[in-house]
Amino acid sequence: MKSTDLDRIEVNPKTMPKRTNPLANVFDDLVRFCRSRSMFMLHYCTGCGAIELPPAMTSRFDMERLGIQPMVTPRQADILLITGYVSIKTLKRVILTYEQMGSPKYVIGICSCTVNGGMYWQSYATAKKLDEYMPVDLYIAGCMPRPEAVIEGLQQLMDKIKNDQANSWKQYYENYDYYLGNQQKLFGNNWQTPTDVIGEAEIYRLMGPQTLGEHTKILQQVQKPMEPLEMKL
Amino acid sequence: MSMLDTLLLISLLTVLLTGLGQRVTFIGWIATLLLTAQLLTLLLMGKLGYGGEIIDASFGFSILGQPLNWRYDALSWFFALITIGSALAGSAFAAGAWGDQYRKEGGNPGLLQFSIALNVLAMLLLLGSGDLLSLFIGWELVSWASLLLMVIAGGRASEFGMRYIVYATAGAMAVLAGLAIIFQLTGSFAYDDLAAVAPALNTLQIVTLTLLFFFGFGIKMGLLPFHLWQADAYAETPGPGTAFLGAISSRMGLYAILVVIIQLIGLVRLIEIEIPYSFLSLRDLLMWVAAISIIIPTFIALRQSDARRLLAWHGIGQGGYMLIGLLVLDPYGSAGGLMHVFNHATYQAALFLSVSAVIYRTRTSDLNRLGGLVTRMPLSFLVMLIGIIGLAGIPPMNGFVSKWLVYRSLIIEGMPLLFVASVIGTLGTILSVYKLIHNTFLGQLRLEHEHIREVPLSMTIPMLVLSAIVFITGFMPGLVLDWVGSAQVALGMPQLAHTLGGVESTQGSLDMIWVCSVLFGGFAVGALLFYSGNKAKRVHQLDNYAGGHFLTADVRYHYSDNFYAGLMHHIGSWYRGSFLWLESSLISVVSSLSGGAQLLYNSFHPALYLLMAITLSLYFFIG
Amino acid sequence: MANSILLTILEVILMPLVAFIVGLFMVLMMRKLAAKLQRRVGPPLFQPLYDIVKLYGKQTQISHGLIHDIGIIMAVGGYVAAEALLPVPGMDGIAAKGGLVTLAYLMMVPSLGLALGVGQCANPNGSIGISRALTAMLAYDIPFIIVIFGVAYHFGSTNLVSIIATQQAEGIAGWGISEMPILAIAGLFALHASLGKQPFEIYIAPAEIATGPMVEMGGKFLGGLFVMQTFQLYTASVLYVSLFLGGGENWVTFLIKCFAVLAIPVLIAYLFPRYRTEDLIRLVWKWPVMLALLGVAFVMN
Repeated sequence: MKSTDLDRIEVNPKTMPKRTNPLANVFDDLVRFCRSRSMFMLHYCTGCGAIELPPAMTSRFDMERLGIQPMVTPRQADILLITGYVSIKTLKRVILTYEQMGSPKYVIGICSCTVNGGMYWQSYATAKKLDEYMPVDLYIAGCMPRPEAVIEGLQQLMDKIKNDQANSWKQYYENYDYYLGNQQKLFGNNWQTPTDVIGEAEIYRLMGPQTLGEHTKILQQVQKPMEPLEMKL
Repeated sequence: MSMLDTLLLISLLTVLLTGLGQRVTFIGWIATLLLTAQLLTLLLMGKLGYGGEIIDASFGFSILGQPLNWRYDALSWFFALITIGSALAGSAFAAGAWGDQYRKEGGNPGLLQFSIALNVLAMLLLLGSGDLLSLFIGWELVSWASLLLMVIAGGRASEFGMRYIVYATAGAMAVLAGLAIIFQLTGSFAYDDLAAVAPALNTLQIVTLTLLFFFGFGIKMGLLPFHLWQADAYAETPGPGTAFLGAISSRMGLYAILVVIIQLIGLVRLIEIEIPYSFLSLRDLLMWVAAISIIIPTFIALRQSDARRLLAWHGIGQGGYMLIGLLVLDPYGSAGGLMHVFNHATYQAALFLSVSAVIYRTRTSDLNRLGGLVTRMPLSFLVMLIGIIGLAGIPPMNGFVSKWLVYRSLIIEGMPLLFVASVIGTLGTILSVYKLIHNTFLGQLRLEHEHIREVPLSMTIPMLVLSAIVFITGFMPGLVLDWVGSAQVALGMPQLAHTLGGVESTQGSLDMIWVCSVLFGGFAVGALLFYSGNKAKRVHQLDNYAGGHFLTADVRYHYSDNFYAGLMHHIGSWYRGSFLWLESSLISVVSSLSGGAQLLYNSFHPALYLLMAITLSLYFFIG
Repeated sequence: MANSILLTILEVILMPLVAFIVGLFMVLMMRKLAAKLQRRVGPPLFQPLYDIVKLYGKQTQISHGLIHDIGIIMAVGGYVAAEALLPVPGMDGIAAKGGLVTLAYLMMVPSLGLALGVGQCANPNGSIGISRALTAMLAYDIPFIIVIFGVAYHFGSTNLVSIIATQQAEGIAGWGISEMPILAIAGLFALHASLGKQPFEIYIAPAEIATGPMVEMGGKFLGGLFVMQTFQLYTASVLYVSLFLGGGENWVTFLIKCFAVLAIPVLIAYLFPRYRTEDLIRLVWKWPVMLALLGVAFVMN
């Protein structure tokens, strides 16, 4: 089984089964609506793609009217906006950043580079397909896309969230073995981040059949323990 | 035999037993037990705290025709309660595991217990003094007893102890001179005689007496500019000793000032005396000394990187609040000042004990070598948290109530600059206590501290009891205000009308029961909101935002050194060590004077000088 | 007796609720004004609420330990309690039982809680943020406390209820701002600095220390801080209105005054970049303190 085989991923049903309690449904709808109308964005920008974001945020296009505002650290953010190519070195940081974000979290790849490496296709140091390493909700293609396209893409994401279709963050937990395998292929078997994805999946009941596998076994062998510092009396 | 005799006898017994039983391993527990007995005896005298009759000691002496006697009134009882309470906390803390470890390291816990017991006896005698002569004797006893406690650790501590004794001797000389003047004026050392004569004294006499006594007793309080000895001397004492010293030792100076200057000479006289070429009265001058004693030591504390020194400097600063409150001369201020003595003793002892607990486990009190201990020593953290909230004077702890009373009297009496000075002190305190708790208990846990455990029960119980007192007397300040009110009456001051929760007044009241209840209600709302969200996963401290960087345990990233860099960038140049310079120049002046005198004495006619000295002293005493 | 206690408890419950709702609109106003100054449209009406609901609705979030949690609880809870000390039209809560000084110190409880929570995060950015926040507090609290002194001395009371009643009895001429204009200016300056907005946002400084105290806050932790912000804006403006603008005769004038007071610093804020810490101290210790002392000198004569 090839680990780069995207078809291997079992995508969970697009919409969650509705809860039976009508009040709970209303509540869920409300929370989803608020999620779609309030998106804190962490932009990871390399090179040219970054240029298109300031106009999208400031006076000309004004993202804030859609409830989107830039944030500084992954803990605060909902959207990870990756513009431009990711080199193998920076990919490590992108993955760490992604794992540190709180779910539900969404990844947007902007520019061709995130789709297939773009003009860096031949580079030995560039990770070509972003979605081999983390689930991507939305690509905004173009070299580079104009702010209108960025806003358009963000609006699409809003619709997806509202309709409960933007659940790719669950795939990361449910198919962690696959993503970890791809990461290990690039970074070697010693690869680990300080975040404990498997532990998180266990706590939040996000384990899927593909969460654990051959790659997570390797991880568990090399991993330095990262248990939280519990209070001891 | 009166209750006072019993109390002093038990105290003497404590001293004797701890002195004789140096080799006994459980000497700490004996000392604790006996101190508990002292506390119980004192509590049996509890009527004093609620306006009871003065209790006289049945013994008394007579020296050179001057009677010496001892008695306890509400003020003495109040101070004695704090003394014995803090000694008990320190002693109990040292009795168990702490003492064992101290012995293993070559220390002598018996000696520590002995010196605490001796200090308590000396202080009880001082507090019970019924005339100026016994006051002076008690004063000297306290000075030397505390020296013993200071130099126990040896090494640098002896140096600091020596420095202290130089200051203390200078103070004692001033007090002696004051007493000599009083004796000349009244022909006796009785309190009543002085109080009777005081209204008739002329301005010069009042000023001289006030300055002499203020200087003499103020040195013990560490009032500026004689504050340099205190922090070093206190901080070097082994753990529980610092708690005892920091909690009560300097307050003896305040007690003496209260008795002599406020009770006997009378503040009203001081207010009448204008200092030429200024807008200040003599009382204002003393208040400004107190205000500066708040600000400067507090900001020196801000610069300390050693937990014990930081706290010791705050001890000096908080003394200023007590004095400033008492000098305002309205019921609010004096109640605040007196109450702050109690409050300060409770939280300061808790803080010192908590720092001692940290030292017990980590062997260091260097604020740059600690961090993250909250997960390992949560109870010590809790104690320190309650302590710093008290020290900073934030509701709901008791430190807030006493400071509130002081602030309120300064506002209503219209003293803006003094009010601002005391608030600046509080703000500086908040800054430095956050640094204390942050650098010790919060932030990154060091690799070498991974396996530390909480201190044993024998140490946590005294700490927790103290912090419980800090909270309860903050929640119901009326408990302490009862005693304070009686002490005010004993001092001849107007008594503060109070309720269990604080003060009722048309000009602004305080009801801590309501304020605390609402505060905790607010916390409950906050908790409800917080726990309504989905649960949070606890993560390791290395799972942290570092701009995408991967943190490792061997890299220290705890932000501790030069904690207030921005502030220090601005005010750092104000720390010029002017007082150190003043001290060293005083030393050199004194030493060159004495060198000159020696030269004179050696090269000329020694016999003549001896004769001169004798004649002068004879004149002094007889004439 | 029992009736009055029940009534007080009811008010104590209602006052924070009102504060939260008004605070939400204050946040909205702040963001809208910023947008208008930058010629943007700005967020929709319920944006502050969306943000808070979303943050509390996060499914996974991290905590660095119990103190991290308790810090957020204290930060929100402290303000909830502080609101009960701030009289609003028709409700006095426990204002008469605490007074100005108590309120000033109670407002430090949330900051202390936040500082503790941030400390446990073990993030140097957060610790630097707190050290700067406390430094800023040391800076702006000095003029603030002088102003409080002046007002309390002028009205002869530290009781907010009686301060407001005295002002309302005499109409606009009796308002603090007409009787103590210099103190009012100094107070506005201190209020601005206490909001932590530009040019005084040294402890947020996103580009420098990654939002300082908020660096490790996500989900309900950040949500708590957003709630705290609504209370913070409300408390600051209501306190100013109570001291200088005669409090609220009725809800309409009260809210108009509150929003107007807040609009002034906000309008100034978004025109400026950020000061450095030592420059902030220098500025705040110079002008507002001088003004406040001058104001007190006038008040006392």
